[in-house]
Amino acid sequence: MAIARAPHAAGEAPRDAAPAAGLNSVHLTLEALEKRYGNLPPSVSALSLQLRQGELLGLLGPSGCGKTTTLRMISGLVPVTAGRILVAGRDVTALPPYRRDMGVVFQAYALFPHMTVAENVAFGLEMRKVSRTEAKERVMRALGMVRLEVLADRKPRELSGGQQQRVALARALVIEPSILLLDEPLSNLDAKLRDEMRNEIRDIQQRLGITAVFVTHDQVEAMAICDRIGVMRAGRLEQIATPLEMYERPATPFVADFVGRMNHLRGTRLEGGGVRVGEAVLTAAGTGPAGEALLLMVRPHRIQMTPAATAQPEAAGRNVQPGTVRRVTFVGDALHYEVAMGAETMLVESSTVSGPQSFAVGDAVFLAWSPDDTLTFPAGTEA
Amino acid sequence: MNTLSLPRIAYGVLVALLLVFLLAPVLLVFPISFSADNFIAWPPSGWSPRWYVALARESELLLAFRNSVVLGLVVTVLSLAIALPAAVMLVRKEFPGRDILFSVFTAPLLLPSIVLGLAILIVFVGRGLVGSWFGMVLAHLTLTLPYALRVLATGLKTLPPAVEDAAGTLGARPFTVFRRVTLPLMAPALIAAGALSFLVSFDEVVISLFIVGPQLKVLPVSLYHYVESRTDPLVASASAVLILVTLLLVIVVERAVGLRKAVGGGG
Amino acid sequence: MSAALLTRPRADWRGGTVLMALLAPILLVNVLTFLAPVINLAMLSFRGSGPGGSIQEGLTTATWTSLLTDSFYWEILLGTVWTSLLITFLTLLCSYPVALWVSRLGARWRNLMMVVCISPLLVSAVVRTYGWMILLGDQGFVPGVIRAMGMTPPRLLFNETGVIIGLTEILMPYMILSLLAGFGKLDRTLEDAAGTLGARPFTVFRRIVLPLSLPGLLLGCLLTFVLAVSSFITPKLLGGGRVVLLATEIYDQAIVTLNWPLASALSILVLVVFGAALAVYGQLSKLVD
Repeated sequence: MAIARAPHAAGEAPRDAAPAAGLNSVHLTLEALEKRYGNLPPSVSALSLQLRQGELLGLLGPSGCGKTTTLRMISGLVPVTAGRILVAGRDVTALPPYRRDMGVVFQAYALFPHMTVAENVAFGLEMRKVSRTEAKERVMRALGMVRLEVLADRKPRELSGGQQQRVALARALVIEPSILLLDEPLSNLDAKLRDEMRNEIRDIQQRLGITAVFVTHDQVEAMAICDRIGVMRAGRLEQIATPLEMYERPATPFVADFVGRMNHLRGTRLEGGGVRVGEAVLTAAGTGPAGEALLLMVRPHRIQMTPAATAQPEAAGRNVQPGTVRRVTFVGDALHYEVAMGAETMLVESSTVSGPQSFAVGDAVFLAWSPDDTLTFPAGTEA
Repeated sequence: MNTLSLPRIAYGVLVALLLVFLLAPVLLVFPISFSADNFIAWPPSGWSPRWYVALARESELLLAFRNSVVLGLVVTVLSLAIALPAAVMLVRKEFPGRDILFSVFTAPLLLPSIVLGLAILIVFVGRGLVGSWFGMVLAHLTLTLPYALRVLATGLKTLPPAVEDAAGTLGARPFTVFRRVTLPLMAPALIAAGALSFLVSFDEVVISLFIVGPQLKVLPVSLYHYVESRTDPLVASASAVLILVTLLLVIVVERAVGLRKAVGGGG
Repeated sequence: MSAALLTRPRADWRGGTVLMALLAPILLVNVLTFLAPVINLAMLSFRGSGPGGSIQEGLTTATWTSLLTDSFYWEILLGTVWTSLLITFLTLLCSYPVALWVSRLGARWRNLMMVVCISPLLVSAVVRTYGWMILLGDQGFVPGVIRAMGMTPPRLLFNETGVIIGLTEILMPYMILSLLAGFGKLDRTLEDAAGTLGARPFTVFRRIVLPLSLPGLLLGCLLTFVLAVSSFITPKLLGGGRVVLLATEIYDQAIVTLNWPLASALSILVLVVFGAALAVYGQLSKLVD
């Protein structure tokens, strides 16, 4: 029974922590997975990762990065060119989709238009030759889980997008699959419904303790609900980490840019740890040979902005630079400032309630940020 | 009144006249079929259902009509049975030469039927296929298969995305996917392809003209010979019946799938 | 696991044998009644014909030589092309206003009128041709109307006039369909835009509507021309045997004279005309783009 499988109570597990090692065993393993079409460069290559039982992994990346192909390889809809897929230690690489026992939620839901909601959900049970009475009971329970019992006799086209989405989820879960695969399940919903649905998906996934892979191009979505995130680019896995780690310590400039807004500064490392950017000398974490060309990255909301009229803010090892406000954009819950800092233009984001005052175009200001918030990458590694 | 109205009215009259021109030959068949005259004349000197009575006694035309219906049904069933697996393969399976095969299979549509009819006649004559049911069915299939294949291929291509994949991941084997998901969703395309195959076969004159024999006559050819040799209103009553039968078939298809969809898929 | 296992292909449940088995029936029909007969037809045009419909052994270009040196066949060829061009032009003239009008209707009426315009296609060519015999015959509808107006009607049936009138009407649905497909791409806001820029209605038509509908127009003309060249039933019945076109001559040679090599060569000639029409269409399409 699906509902009884939960290893921990609903909503208890902290979002950003991977399930504790040792408690949960490895459930899904991808080994050097590769997909090629003809002589084209591989759509996916050298992709290896392990998922623990009950873990929700987000596969994140721009369109065409290979994340959907990866999902389709796991489900068996696309044959792999090389590599292995193991579920609970069993090699399923050669199995056709109908013998893989995976629940898939498709981007456009792929509900059978000629069947009612209940018939859609019952289809997988019917294929498994589950008795009619048991199937009926399980269908109603699955529909109850997504709060759609009352719509059981409707046809899919009579449902709203969010309702169709929930039917697709119920249909994928009712067969108690070993793994749940979600292919951009929220991309066809409007913004408000999207937030609601993603939390619902997360709640159900945690309640059932089911191992799941969630493909998306929306980093906010992935960060919000996933235990870990794998960022893909051009068929390769760039980094796999918890959302927090991904945000704070991105492995590459591409990942840094993809998971949030970034200021880019080009500089050269000096003797003694400083970095020259234009006229200024900044402090950044990390060490390296002097003369090395560097790319510095700072998140806009980690920069503190103060009026130049008041005293220069306490340095205390922070980077403090003078600048001039060039543009102010009000975006509702925040203000975006473009600030000229030497030859560079910095984007600064400040909450509309945090500061005692806002700034106007032409204001002279100080920008201050911590070296810990300054990411350094060797130049030439950016996207 | 503004200056636009006069050209507007003239344009409306023009369009109305052209529509009358387009529909006149079909519509005029109905009044003439009730003519009491022995020959085609307008206006008829009197009205009478005598030509419908005559039609019911015209055993040769009735036999040809029966033959045409049987032929159309056989050809329709065979067209669907042959074109459906072919369409599934040509749309779903990628293999070298797939596009070329599709073009070859639909190429008979491009050939004038007078050329195709002659070509088929020449190979049929030496093999005793002229005037035979087998030869007639084969020749009609040449014409109906391209239509059926195109309509079914379009139907397959416009299936809702990923439903077949979804059925597979839910545990359905390929044949079960086809039976439970693909086939029911293709019902409109199957109806359209079937109706089109029947109409094409039922209406085909030129190819049949080459292949008919004394033992096997079909309605369009018999009507053609009748019109060629006699000019009485009998054909009008036959035509009226044919038009009404066609109309009935079209309404059935329209109810099931929508005519524009069916015809558009075939174009 | 071994390297061989890593590259093992997934079990393919739609193998090559299945593929062949499912394509075999359509392939068989295609080869038996299309490819083989057409190739046979082309080859037959290089054989000689003997008395009583016999075909002589050995390849010869005699059929082609006599065909291409006989002014009778040149007249048929040029006459067919000329008549078909005239029919195409008349069909376009009659179809364009109707198609433009239909394309301007609201969605519901447009669909209905489209069905009305293409409905004649569902009626057998024999029946529609018979309808024209009712209309054009000496005691028919049109001469009756002309007589009622106190004039002497010209002869309309069993001559070229009848064939041209009948084919124009019979081919109109194809032209209307092609034109409507072309008009489909025409955005009504473009005309409004031109209007706001100061263009008068006729200028809007000449500068915006006509150029944008040209691709559909060309396709319709190609289709109409090709169908006119290959039409047989209508010229045969409305021409009453007095109008000789390529298609009717093929039939007469094949069925009456039993000269199959000549009928085959004439068939190839029809295909050559098709090829030429396609080439002209291709050139004109390039010009339009």
